[in-house]
Amino acid sequence: MTDLEFLPQFPLAANPLALFGVLLLAGVLGGELTRRVLNVPRITGYVLIGLTLGASGLNVLDARMLGYTRVFFDIGLGLVLFELGRRVHFGWLMRDRWLAVMALAECTLSFGCMFGALVWFQVEPLYAAVAAAIGVSSSPAIVLLVARELKAEGQVTERALNLVAVNSVAAFVLVTMLLSWIHREYHAGWFVMVLHPLYIMAGSLFAGLAASWLALGLAGWLGKRIELHAALLLAVVVLLVGAAEALKLSILISLLTFGVLIGNLDRDHVLMPVDVGRFSQIFFVVLFVATGAILKVSDLVAGGAIAAVYIAARFVGKSIGVLCFAHLSRIRAGSGGLLSIALLPMSGIALAMTYSAESFYPAFSAKLRVIVLAAALVLELIGPLAVQFALRRAGEAQKEEAP
Amino acid sequence: MNPELDFKASPELTMGVELELQILNSRDYNLARDAVDLLSLLDKAPHPGAIKPEITESMIELNSSIHENFGTLRTELREIRDAVARAAAQLNLRIAGGGSHPFHKWSERRIYPSERFKHLLEVYGYLAKQFTVFGQHIHIGVPDGDAALYLAHTLARYIPHFIALSASSPFQQGADTEFQSSRLNTVSAFPLSGTLPFVHTWNDFVAYFDKMRRFGIVESMKDFYWDIRPKPEYGTVEIRVLDTPLTVDRAAQLGAYAQTLAHYLLTQRPLPPSEDVYLVYKYNRFQACRYGLAGTCIDAHAQRQLPLQRDILDTLELLQPHAARVGTGEALMALRADAESSRSDAAWLRETYRKLGSLNDVARRQSEQWMGPPPAA
Repeated sequence: MTDLEFLPQFPLAANPLALFGVLLLAGVLGGELTRRVLNVPRITGYVLIGLTLGASGLNVLDARMLGYTRVFFDIGLGLVLFELGRRVHFGWLMRDRWLAVMALAECTLSFGCMFGALVWFQVEPLYAAVAAAIGVSSSPAIVLLVARELKAEGQVTERALNLVAVNSVAAFVLVTMLLSWIHREYHAGWFVMVLHPLYIMAGSLFAGLAASWLALGLAGWLGKRIELHAALLLAVVVLLVGAAEALKLSILISLLTFGVLIGNLDRDHVLMPVDVGRFSQIFFVVLFVATGAILKVSDLVAGGAIAAVYIAARFVGKSIGVLCFAHLSRIRAGSGGLLSIALLPMSGIALAMTYSAESFYPAFSAKLRVIVLAAALVLELIGPLAVQFALRRAGEAQKEEAP
Repeated sequence: MNPELDFKASPELTMGVELELQILNSRDYNLARDAVDLLSLLDKAPHPGAIKPEITESMIELNSSIHENFGTLRTELREIRDAVARAAAQLNLRIAGGGSHPFHKWSERRIYPSERFKHLLEVYGYLAKQFTVFGQHIHIGVPDGDAALYLAHTLARYIPHFIALSASSPFQQGADTEFQSSRLNTVSAFPLSGTLPFVHTWNDFVAYFDKMRRFGIVESMKDFYWDIRPKPEYGTVEIRVLDTPLTVDRAAQLGAYAQTLAHYLLTQRPLPPSEDVYLVYKYNRFQACRYGLAGTCIDAHAQRQLPLQRDILDTLELLQPHAARVGTGEALMALRADAESSRSDAAWLRETYRKLGSLNDVARRQSEQWMGPPPAA
């Protein structure tokens, strides 16, 4: 043993905590810089800084480093999905049936348009279907965070969030169902074909339900203390994210279910309306920086024209679905168009879905990647701008108003 | 004469009610900002009366039509309430009565996009946003301006009654104010609040108004935020001290109380207007705001101090024959029952907070009181 063993050894081992700090700092500085220089939402800045640090740029955040950020990424994602779920009101969807119809229509039509367009451009039906299914989802994180950043409130904001929740679930259900098809394509047995999607769906729903029971039971016992409820919810969200991962369930469905049920099952109103977003902001920053780092500019080149077709078909499908029913849902004239624009950002969850497919069949995922990731890159960057435009135009952003 | 000051006679003792209401979200029951959407939806839905914007986007105002009796007023208010509740449900909003929202932050409010309200923001600064409090105004029809001034001056003695019977703003900005009606403290911050000048003929009032206008202090009658104000364009006297009650039934009962008092004052002319009433006015007003039914009041005519609850019950007794004549017996009986047992909306709100332990729950229960529980999911 030498006398100098108390000194660190070089090269330094990667430290997840230091990495978290670096990502957070980079995100905050990048976000503020892009806001000041380009006047775009901070989220676009987080993604840009991620791209700069990731494989497409300086390659500081390579695959190994990103592996360390996985835990923070998942917590951020879990918190977004939970908060989104809490915004979903079954009662509202029942009362305003046309809103529910609009949600189903935009999912169905966007799937149809994307699938049709991709097949038209000679993409094999299975890839076209999975890509279309992934594209059904709008980004919960982008819509929620832009709404938070603008302190937006109103019919377009609330409806957009409810539509995003529905289309995220629809996308996941579609992808899960298509998993059976993928299994068949890769000659898996009937047993796997049926049981795998069933396990994910039923297991994730049950995990969300169990988390709701747990949180509601404990909230009742803790009494109406907002700081305790905040800690409780954060704990259960993290616990559920971990459990879903360990049990190979869907984080998306588990956390969304948790968020939706905790509001809708709380008949005695035992849970206080904790603003989870307040303490989850730091995870959100890391979520977007990491997302930016995963994306590759080379995917954009590879995707090229087919990605453009995919984005256009997706926008057309969603817009027709929303616009057909906006009038029947009796919202103000013009709100339908703004809602369509607010649904534009594609989900970081698309990445997760693509990678989840990859984990089973790497060859399959490589083909999918060309289409989906190029579109995800474009929409991660312009999505926040689209949502910002829609919410400001709807007059729902908090304006600076004297005094 | 300025046409705005031309006093239009209206059928004596008719009444109308205006109610300012809270628009809440269904998530945490904070104030929402959906007045524009709600009003545009209500424009397309058939309903009696009128529904209008108010100073911030978290408020709307319901106006009843003109009524001769309590029964039709209550029926109409219920119909308007149901129409508003239906539209609110469509937009996933909740509507609540009560003089204040228990925990909203005034700085988060947004001024309703109209020229008049933007002008008020320019003139009054933050007071305009703090004015997100919710009152009930009662109009009583009078034949001419002189009668309006007589009624306004003699009603001043009963102002504590209206405050105590409607008090429903114990919480403001997330805290218990220890007042029964804290709303009026917000109103008092405005420079043109208070009481009308002690003039007795409409000609003298017009001269006063013209002088104020020449000074550049006011442009129209709307600029006066007095507790009781003559409203020449409607031919009414408007009582403006009430908090919006938690239910429309209570709002109709309070309208009936004003109508019966006006019947007593205008038909019997029992008391001459007295400046002494204004000497004790602020003391009485404060007592009613701070302690509600448990406060004291000074009867300037009798020159004695007595419990406000006693004074209200005595007045209700005195009004019985008049109630029989104008058909407000049922309304006054309900007010008496509550006054006797010291029940008030403010007490109910505090009790709800004590039981449920959170102001979000108070706001939720407030909305359930007003529009009924939410439809089952």
